[in-house]
Amino acid sequence: MKEFVGITIPSHPKYLSIVRKTTGAVGELYGIPEQDLEDIKLAVDEACSNVIKHAYGGDATKKIAVKYTVTKRLFKVIIEDNGMKTHIGAMQGRSLNDVRPGGLGIHFIRRIFDGFRFDEQKRRGNRLILSRTLHAKK
Amino acid sequence: MNIELSEYKQKKIITLSGDIDMYSSPLLRDKLMALVKKKVPFLYVDFNKVSYIDSSGIATFVEGLKGMKSFGGRIVFFGVPPKIMEIFNFSKLDKVFEIYGSIEDAFNS
Repeated sequence: MKEFVGITIPSHPKYLSIVRKTTGAVGELYGIPEQDLEDIKLAVDEACSNVIKHAYGGDATKKIAVKYTVTKRLFKVIIEDNGMKTHIGAMQGRSLNDVRPGGLGIHFIRRIFDGFRFDEQKRRGNRLILSRTLHAKK
Repeated sequence: MNIELSEYKQKKIITLSGDIDMYSSPLLRDKLMALVKKKVPFLYVDFNKVSYIDSSGIATFVEGLKGMKSFGGRIVFFGVPPKIMEIFNFSKLDKVFEIYGSIEDAFNS
């Protein structure tokens, strides 16, 4: 059986720090390099922030489930909600050259996770699957 | 996140510590925009004790910068830790914000 770590948080921004700490602890456990781990923490935080803002429209009374699976080759994070459907086409972010507030979060997610997709099988809400290929130590 | 406001030689300094995220950035926005509203000519932001910043924190500073520029004011950052600087670099905001190593460099700019 594949091992995993999972947490469920209320959809209130004050709990995002718990997501960052958990992501950090899981990454440390598996020896993820510090700089990569900082980027992973930011990306998972941004993905959960997006759930609060977009899927739940700022409703802080819902739930977000975050599940981590780490193998030799992959660091995988699954983020689930029961909010409004998010379409991957709507998550493009702004151009980095267009300096204005907002639209950066998606860039932070995509720069560290080479896998980024929504599970289309989930009927209610969203299941975002993020994965990062890990390179074995030589 | 903790926010301290101080003044040195008639220059306003915001000293931040801790994490700037979706939870704490609305408070930062309130403080920042209050200073913009007062048309403070020089605003210095001490990043030395900032441990984390996300896109909502960056958006807050972009909004603050635009507000300051609207009346010819300046917002100047100093003491930005490397991991925060890396986020500014990636976002191409290192070219947009005035960023200095120390408070002296910021004051002398």
